[in-house]
Amino acid sequence: MVTQKIDIKKPLEILSRGDDSKLETNMNACVKCGLCAESCMYYLAFKEAQYVPGAKAELVSSIYRRYNTLAGKVAPALFNAKELNQEMAEKMVDMLFGACTMCGRCVKHCSIGVDIPYIVRKGREMLAAMNMVPATLQSTVDAALNTGNNMAIPQEEFIDTIKWMEEELIDEMEDVNARIPLDETDKSVFYTLNPREPKFFPLSISAIAKVFYAAKESWTISSKYYDVTNYGFFNGNNDQAAQIAGYLHDEIHKLRGKKLVLGECGHGSRATRWEGPGYLKKKFDFETITVVEVIASYIREGKITLDKSLNSSKVTIHDPCNLVRNGGLYSEIRFVVKSSVSDLQEMNPYGEDNFCCGGGGGALAMSEYNERRIKIGAIKAQQIAKSGAKVVITPCHNCVDQLQQLNHTYKLGVKIMTIAEIVADALVINKQ
Amino acid sequence: MAKLEIEGRVFDVDGDGFLSDPSEWNEEVAALIAKSDGIDQLNEKHWAILKIIRDNFEKEGNAPMIRKICQETGIKLREIYDLFPLGPARGACRVAGLPKPDGCV
Repeated sequence: MVTQKIDIKKPLEILSRGDDSKLETNMNACVKCGLCAESCMYYLAFKEAQYVPGAKAELVSSIYRRYNTLAGKVAPALFNAKELNQEMAEKMVDMLFGACTMCGRCVKHCSIGVDIPYIVRKGREMLAAMNMVPATLQSTVDAALNTGNNMAIPQEEFIDTIKWMEEELIDEMEDVNARIPLDETDKSVFYTLNPREPKFFPLSISAIAKVFYAAKESWTISSKYYDVTNYGFFNGNNDQAAQIAGYLHDEIHKLRGKKLVLGECGHGSRATRWEGPGYLKKKFDFETITVVEVIASYIREGKITLDKSLNSSKVTIHDPCNLVRNGGLYSEIRFVVKSSVSDLQEMNPYGEDNFCCGGGGGALAMSEYNERRIKIGAIKAQQIAKSGAKVVITPCHNCVDQLQQLNHTYKLGVKIMTIAEIVADALVINKQ
Repeated sequence: MAKLEIEGRVFDVDGDGFLSDPSEWNEEVAALIAKSDGIDQLNEKHWAILKIIRDNFEKEGNAPMIRKICQETGIKLREIYDLFPLGPARGACRVAGLPKPDGCV
């Protein structure tokens, strides 16, 4: 990194706004009990004090104290109050971008429930204000800002891919109504995708299209703004996060969609559904729901018929942090998977206490920290191996990619699938 | 910058093991990277896929859509995932000497 004089005015303003009681109370609350250490994949993998979640949050809190408390101003050494300088900023980049997936497992293990990822996200906001976001992460955000999707897929190439998947589905179903409708107005479902699906892994698109077809759903995908991800949630730049959130918000209005259905993406679901209204400073006037919940409703209402015996291999579930620990989908995911497979073996731990895949928080996009990502992933790899499962199901494309890499690196010999894929394989199609 | 050593040859790579300088790529380099991914011998189908990825990169500056790879080589989608177990991005694009694509790959 090039050494330069940094402008500390803007980052310090983030800590001294005076209207964020959640930040101030959480920064002041840590009792240094150390219980969070063993909850963190980075600490478990490296066993160094700097990786303790509380120590990462302390980087931000110590700067807060230095500039916002009398004790920190008068006797900084006594109160562990630290100056924000180049060295400190570089340490923050390394720890807050490079050594935290913001998975929130530490919050569940904290003796008093300090929201450490919230403090980490504020630290990232400070770094974004200093233009210190890792280049690979910023490049993904820039692609989304400039083109509407984070892989910069040109619109005509996206359309060609969807048409290709549609032709295959029509052939498979032997029905010209087995469509993947693009840019249609007044549909009840406005569906969204992770750009890696059309770019490299389109089988998950045909899988969900098959489910919608079976359920006789009225649905569409926009050919321009379909990207469910929002890497502005990770890079800490709220203006950029708002611009990206605005794309889906405006597009669903343009196409007069009724429900924004979030494709299988953990952070994208959170950044759109929970953070989106905050970024845009407005309440959404349309329903926002994940595709997992939509599929669950089809099963409950008898809109689709599933035959579990079609998926007879032993499966396990990887719970994406932003959908389960931070998203409340534990039961819905179990309901859909148990309706689709005949042999489910949970990992240990699982559900709200599950370990992150290791690729969250933008880690998958940041080549700078690849080695750490694979190393902490060993914990997840061991969990998978111990489950004895042959198939790992996860409703998050980011997790899918990390698990795929772990599968290869640690020779797990498993198949990684999305929820739509496992459900599509269990579908019993009643010819229309 | 990270280093990747395969059979005595050393390459400058990014953290994910993608070549830092795509112009350093040639067929011998491809075979070496493939080996480090556990593909001992690149067959005709591997080469057909690599050629399209490489051509697209040289003309457009990025990786082609998987549709283009399938339609121009005639290789079935599922077979591509079998040929490159790490997938089209971390697998095929890396062997083809491209920079790592942005996004969740």
